[in-house]
Amino acid sequence: MELKESIICPGCACLCDDLDIILENGRPVAIHNVCTWGVGKFLAEKKLRPNKERRRLTDPQISRHGRAEKVSYEAALGEAAAILTQARRPVIYGLANSGAWAQEAALALTANLKARLEPADLAFMAPFYQAVQKHGLFWAPLEVIRDEADAVVYWGANPLHSCPRHAVRYAVFARGRFTERGIEDRQVAAVDIYRTELAGICHPYIQIDPFQEAALAEAVMASLNGHPASEDAPADADKLAAFFANAAYGVIFCGRGVAYGGPQVFDRLAALAARLNEKKPFVLFPLSGDFNSAGLYELLLRETGSPFAPDFADPAAPTSQASPVDFQEVDAVLVTGADLLWFLQAEQVQDLKKRQVPIVALSPFADRTTAQARVCLPVALDGIEAAEIAYRMDGLPVLLRPVASASAPPAHRVLADLNLFL
Amino acid sequence: MRLKITGGRIYDPASGWQGEVRDLLIEGDRVVSRLTAADRIIDAKRKMVVAGGIDLGAQVATYGATFLYLLNGGPTLRELGLAYAFLGYTHVHEPFLTPVTAALVHRRLAALPIVDVSASLVLNLRDLDAWLKDRDRWGEIAETIRFLLEKTRSLDVRLVEPFVRYRQEFYAHRNIYPDEALDILTRLALDHRLKFIVQASPDVVNASYLEPRAFHLAGLSQALQNGGAGAAALRHLDAGVTADCGLYLPRPDPGPQIKVDLGWYQPLNLNPAIFRQQARDALDLALSYQGHNLAFSAMAPTPVREYPELFTWLLDRTLRQKTWGKETAEREYSLSDWTRATRTLPAQILGLTDRGHLQPGARADVAIYDLSEGKKPRLSPASLRRVHTLIKGGEIVIDNFQLVKPDAAKATYFRRTEAQATALVADICQYRSFRPESLWVPDELGGPWVGMD
Repeated sequence: MELKESIICPGCACLCDDLDIILENGRPVAIHNVCTWGVGKFLAEKKLRPNKERRRLTDPQISRHGRAEKVSYEAALGEAAAILTQARRPVIYGLANSGAWAQEAALALTANLKARLEPADLAFMAPFYQAVQKHGLFWAPLEVIRDEADAVVYWGANPLHSCPRHAVRYAVFARGRFTERGIEDRQVAAVDIYRTELAGICHPYIQIDPFQEAALAEAVMASLNGHPASEDAPADADKLAAFFANAAYGVIFCGRGVAYGGPQVFDRLAALAARLNEKKPFVLFPLSGDFNSAGLYELLLRETGSPFAPDFADPAAPTSQASPVDFQEVDAVLVTGADLLWFLQAEQVQDLKKRQVPIVALSPFADRTTAQARVCLPVALDGIEAAEIAYRMDGLPVLLRPVASASAPPAHRVLADLNLFL
Repeated sequence: MRLKITGGRIYDPASGWQGEVRDLLIEGDRVVSRLTAADRIIDAKRKMVVAGGIDLGAQVATYGATFLYLLNGGPTLRELGLAYAFLGYTHVHEPFLTPVTAALVHRRLAALPIVDVSASLVLNLRDLDAWLKDRDRWGEIAETIRFLLEKTRSLDVRLVEPFVRYRQEFYAHRNIYPDEALDILTRLALDHRLKFIVQASPDVVNASYLEPRAFHLAGLSQALQNGGAGAAALRHLDAGVTADCGLYLPRPDPGPQIKVDLGWYQPLNLNPAIFRQQARDALDLALSYQGHNLAFSAMAPTPVREYPELFTWLLDRTLRQKTWGKETAEREYSLSDWTRATRTLPAQILGLTDRGHLQPGARADVAIYDLSEGKKPRLSPASLRRVHTLIKGGEIVIDNFQLVKPDAAKATYFRRTEAQATALVADICQYRSFRPESLWVPDELGGPWVGMD
């Protein structure tokens, strides 16, 4: 038995660094301070079905005529390279659940392939960045939010599912320098189209009809500006406006639910935050659950100057696309750091199958995408079996040190090797 | 590689060379006094030969700076590194690194190609408030600062807010006002051999006395809100305090605001409006001071590619008047003044003893610019925009205006102190969401590292 302390968890974008892990024969057997997402990664259990094992991929595979056969690493790379180089419109998809080195390798591969790199959560993050372009931003790291924020709003977000320890470590219950009593020193509100577990701790909890979120943000803005609410304004706008007005330092955590209401929701929320910032600090904070989504956008901004999907189809003039890729145009996909077929709508999956679009999948676990992939390349678990760098949701990087041995190479090496095969 | 740069006009205020035509010899990564043979001879006739430039206040890696890409579309870090190289710079210093943002700052600095880098650790005096009032604990404060310097891989200590002011009324009894704070910091610095880079503000500049051994004033232009502050700034400079001027390009309508809260009393405004009068006041101060204690710096959001315009304002009265009219000062910076402001003094301020000059033993960071030879040699705006030759660590990076070594070796410089953790470190870390071992910057998040004693 061996105890390893202060291990960083790559379960979600909280990147909790207080995990203490007991290892037996080099594998984790018990973990302290961990949430279900972390358990899923460290102990290879299914996220929503604890105690059910997630099957690890062990060998590179190529599927021919519906039958998967084990092949050598080099043969798998050769096949993947052939698929991607022969494609007219290849896409590198995912990467929000990949380490920073893997993301860098993927970006290099994308440029070399004249392909498009599609972040798995582009539909969520692109409207956020567009709203910042238009309205500006007041930003703070989670450290400062934890210390200062006395008003916390979860909008279209359920952190208990997307990043389970967020409320405990950073926002609601956390004891900061000026919020020493945790939730007793804070007001917490939520806006969602469903009633979630947050309803028990959020007052007000505003459950609204789908596609009413932009209207709610507008009504709150109108109320803050002293205008009477229109007759068709969503209910509870005044309540939320009063909540905002009473705050000394606020934060709006936006979850993926915001994306379902269309880009105008982020636009209205950014406008609302800008209006609130005229008088008091108010942070607008996208709550991406994937453990290194922030690292991907940092990389894109750093290397391409844009947070949108880089497209190298014309290498002389690469572009960046804010709209998600149309998979009907795609004729080959490399997936890493995401489960593409879990994310896509059923008709999109059917279309890919019907057109026999070849998929190259890099994954530590078997999932829907690997089940349909033409080439499967098993990779080590970033941050558990292989060292990596990840950026917490507020954009602060940490080094993930491996705690267990790996039976597969890290994703960044596979991507770099693949680049050599092109 | 052994290089002989021949026939150039050498400007090196540290050596007293003011344009004398002489040879400069390089062996390996050092300037040497003798060379038996040269692998390459660089003809520098009608050229200016100076040490590589050092930028004291480049906000290239500040937390939140990537949001600025959304407003102006770049430049990317790669483009920035190239821009610095083409301007003749070999070292870039990031002013704003905090214990929490250190890893991010170093990741970005590592991605800046060609130029060496370093950063200032910004100390939040709020973390030290109770300790500052107890002189018996100053030794521990000094040890803590040295410990944090090494753990965050920083080169020096900066104070953006040399005071303690709580937003919360409840804590008002713990406030320390600027006069008192500067007094404490002076004694702390002198007792424990520290030096603080202090971000200039009216409060700071209007202090009756600033001890030159304790303080460097950064971004002097930020303090210039009235004529009195300008006079006070000149008084401090004359008394021996070093400063950097913080010139601006006017930008009255910069677009949406990007503000980042780093736990200070005021958030950091990454995209402030710069009004013409502000820019003019900063320029007037830079032109009116004639001593040796004022370094060049530009304030954000002035982009590095616009530095040549700022240099032109200093160097050429006629071109300056095109922007500012005839009312500006008559003075023109000599090429020696400009070299001192952009090389010699920045190196001294950062404690980079082997940079900023060309004496034997100096690191071979050399920039060679075309000179317009007339009544007196001049640097034209075109020459300022594109260095003829850039040598970094003895390697030719730019040759005849062309980038020939985009992957030039570079390093991150930090202060190696070997200080031990103190009770104050634990006190500071208690409010962090990171455990301390996650807070300190590991090798993998930046570098390659060069620790300086």
